[in-house]
Amino acid sequence: MNIYLLQVVNGVGIGMLYFLLAVGLSIVFGLLRFVNFAHGAFYLLGAYFCYQMMEWGSNFWLTLVLVPLAVGAIGWLTEKLMLRHVYDTAHEFHIVITVGLALVVQELVILQWGPLGTNVAVPDVLQGVVMWGSFIYPKYRLFVIGFTAVLAVLLWWVLEGTRLGSAVRAGSESTEMVSLLGINVFRIFSLVFALGAATAALAGVLAAPIRGAEPFMGIEALGVAFVVVVVGGMGSFGGALLGGLLIGVVQSVMSTLWPEGARLMIYIAMAAVLLLRPNGLLGRKE
Amino acid sequence: MKNNTHFLLALAVVLLMPAFMQSGSLASEVLIFGLAAMGCNLLLGFTGLLSFGQGVFFGLGSYTIALTLTRWPLPMPLALLLAIAMGALGAAVVGWVAIRQKGTYFVMLTLAFAQMFYFIAYTATGITGGDNGLLDIPRPSIVVLGQTLWSLASPWQFYGFVAAVFLFAFWLLQKVSRSTFGRTLLAVRDNEERAGAIGYNLKLLKLQAFVISGAVTGLAGALHAMMTGIAPLSNAEYHTSEMILVMTVIGGAGNLFASVLGSAFYVLTADWLSSLWPRWLLLLGLVLMAVSLWMQRGLWGLGDSVWRRLRSKLEKMHE
Repeated sequence: MNIYLLQVVNGVGIGMLYFLLAVGLSIVFGLLRFVNFAHGAFYLLGAYFCYQMMEWGSNFWLTLVLVPLAVGAIGWLTEKLMLRHVYDTAHEFHIVITVGLALVVQELVILQWGPLGTNVAVPDVLQGVVMWGSFIYPKYRLFVIGFTAVLAVLLWWVLEGTRLGSAVRAGSESTEMVSLLGINVFRIFSLVFALGAATAALAGVLAAPIRGAEPFMGIEALGVAFVVVVVGGMGSFGGALLGGLLIGVVQSVMSTLWPEGARLMIYIAMAAVLLLRPNGLLGRKE
Repeated sequence: MKNNTHFLLALAVVLLMPAFMQSGSLASEVLIFGLAAMGCNLLLGFTGLLSFGQGVFFGLGSYTIALTLTRWPLPMPLALLLAIAMGALGAAVVGWVAIRQKGTYFVMLTLAFAQMFYFIAYTATGITGGDNGLLDIPRPSIVVLGQTLWSLASPWQFYGFVAAVFLFAFWLLQKVSRSTFGRTLLAVRDNEERAGAIGYNLKLLKLQAFVISGAVTGLAGALHAMMTGIAPLSNAEYHTSEMILVMTVIGGAGNLFASVLGSAFYVLTADWLSSLWPRWLLLLGLVLMAVSLWMQRGLWGLGDSVWRRLRSKLEKMHE
């Protein structure tokens, strides 16, 4: 029994990371109707920037703040200089341009850090395990759960409680209307895109001590993020959270029951959700 | 005359490649991926469906021919037909689920199917060989009544076979795209709501387009497995789907011959660049960004506008 409890807690940890990974993709889609195939590339950059800063001797907490800011800035620039110019075209060009961007980022990472993966050490304070009676759990993973939970609340507050958030939510309904009300939607687009890139990078930083950094983690993450968004419902914050947790727990529990099939199961779970609820668990009808 | 221009262009490519290229395998690859890209184009350019799941049908085709040629004593043409059928069947399944959604949701679904297929292929080692793939696929000659009609042993002999299959498929696809069915697909692409309002069964039309696309892509996968002698797991990977889509977009959507151009461009530059620089994908990424920003009609569109400009200049000179 205990092993299943452990796997469920593990799954929650993975699921919170999946949520962080997917939430940016989902919000960007909700607002801009833009599928970002380069979203995994921001996650990849997060993990490698984290590795690089730790190599330079930075402490983990500083990394946790600076890397998302840096990647967020990259996202902001990308949106301003490039993606903005294809918003009006057919959606295949949204996809092709971001697929191209993802390839460029991946190859630059390989040029800079080599094709093999590297490990990132767990910060000293968070090494070791926590014990509650018979329940033993790694400190770092517990930290990830707590930290992402706080972040989730913060993000929720930004979306629900601030002027920016209400502009984003209104923009998801009708960009033209928001624009007519005198709000500069293009500034909001850039900001939201930067926020999406930063959250993906943060997921990369948090994942690095758990799974290391390797050049193809971006593509893998993109697949997972799509599943989470499709399961939860596109453009929905709650959907990303629910989808992330669901997929995390399914993957984690299945990895004890049927290790080879754990990754397969998350895609089967997705297909099942879609057959029963085509717009995702919490998605609106288009 | 105009009706046959594209077919003649395709024929010219088929006939010219042996004159200019040293490697028969590379030439075969151009045609094989040309087939796959045409399958993708039927969805993207003619029906308005962007499918990231073409690797599923490609992989199904290569696994099917590998299994039939190594384990069951089926004659090769039959094995090829079986691979086509499997591609079509896979497309029917993926299509049946995916066409319930539109736009981006649809794209993500096809991508998720591609991932699912990859993990199935990875897990089912008894059938697919898992990570190792299926090896030692023979390339039997075409035998009729005990007489060897056509040996496929050498790369150029195999090229001849691929070329014949390719031209036949090109002709058939062109016929399909110009039939009433093909015109109706264009109507779905241009204005889905209106096509639906007129009374067309959108889901059925899309499903049919999917099945044809899957059949062609399955054929391409089977030919690829015969060419290389292996059916690797990578044929079922995300990367394969992406590559097929990229060829289609670089060539130009909505024109079958453009897909052949896209395939030739991709296969030949990949072959050339990858020998020069292992990080050539970086350049491909830049090309994709450039195509999306400035060359949305692809190579075909570029050639077309250059041709038009030249012609109008010539006409002015005559005046």
